[in-house]
Amino acid sequence: MNIKQSIRRKGRGHPRDTDVNLTAVMNIFLILIPFLLLTASFVRIAVLELTLPSLDRAGQQATVQNAQSTVLNILLIKETELQLNSPGLKFDKIAGRTGDYNWSELTAQLQQVKSKFPDSEDIIISPENTILYETIIVIMDQCREAGFPNISISG
Amino acid sequence: MKIEEQSTTLKLATGSTRIRRGTFELRLTSMIDMFTILLVFLLKSYSADGQIMTVANDLRLPESISEKQPTVMSVVAVTQEWIVVDGRPIARIDEISSSDILIQPLLRELQRLRSISEGIGELSSQMQGFRGNIAIQGDKEITFDLLKRIMLTCGQVGYNNMNLAVVEKE
Repeated sequence: MNIKQSIRRKGRGHPRDTDVNLTAVMNIFLILIPFLLLTASFVRIAVLELTLPSLDRAGQQATVQNAQSTVLNILLIKETELQLNSPGLKFDKIAGRTGDYNWSELTAQLQQVKSKFPDSEDIIISPENTILYETIIVIMDQCREAGFPNISISG
Repeated sequence: MKIEEQSTTLKLATGSTRIRRGTFELRLTSMIDMFTILLVFLLKSYSADGQIMTVANDLRLPESISEKQPTVMSVVAVTQEWIVVDGRPIARIDEISSSDILIQPLLRELQRLRSISEGIGELSSQMQGFRGNIAIQGDKEITFDLLKRIMLTCGQVGYNNMNLAVVEKE
């Protein structure tokens, strides 16, 4: 039935059932996909920069640039709580367990600091000795998201 | 007899130009769909840079939102058991003395690396000398105490630009 119809239509000059020639597409797929699969890297590595104050010239320039912002924000990390200290602001301790603190509270407090000192971009993180590296990275991420990209770590 | 049969089938095949009896069509639609999805996914995750930094199997890096790409530099890898500098095991974590805050074997190795890179820098102005860049690949389970001592040791040698390696979060 179908074939008959198609023949009739072809006869009339209105071809309906046309086949797309997919050979070229299949060829390009068969070459591209193995190539991309081989070069694909599924784990992408990034870096977080930390710069210690150094005594050479580059370090001096950096300190001169940062001299205007003298706001000292210190975030203490303990096993069970976070404590943010900022000049002129009083914050409650942020409760939590190891590796999982009340992040929304931390973000809110950091935003308070940001609204009081809009130019301030520095924060000092001071973890206890037993804090895990992963926790420190998570907290550094939180600080960067809240607008404090210049993070220092103090022991 | 046989030839006749063949010729009749041949006639059938050639005679019907529109209806090809005896041939069959592959249904490629779903395969093409799958390939298209695969292609889009692979093109999305494709990076032309290649991987500069590689990570050992027993090292689990923490995740971060950072998007800064690493450059070529020396790597201090800190697993649960070993401190490894550029693929060379330096010290066991258990055997590091807790009385001295600096890690002496690491200090010696970093001083050696520094003198090598300074020597390369003196050879030719085109060569990259000592820049003070170092990458720290820390396992996510190591404590801050150990990390602090490693960073202090790196800082003592003059490696002040530390890059903490992390896995990019999607």
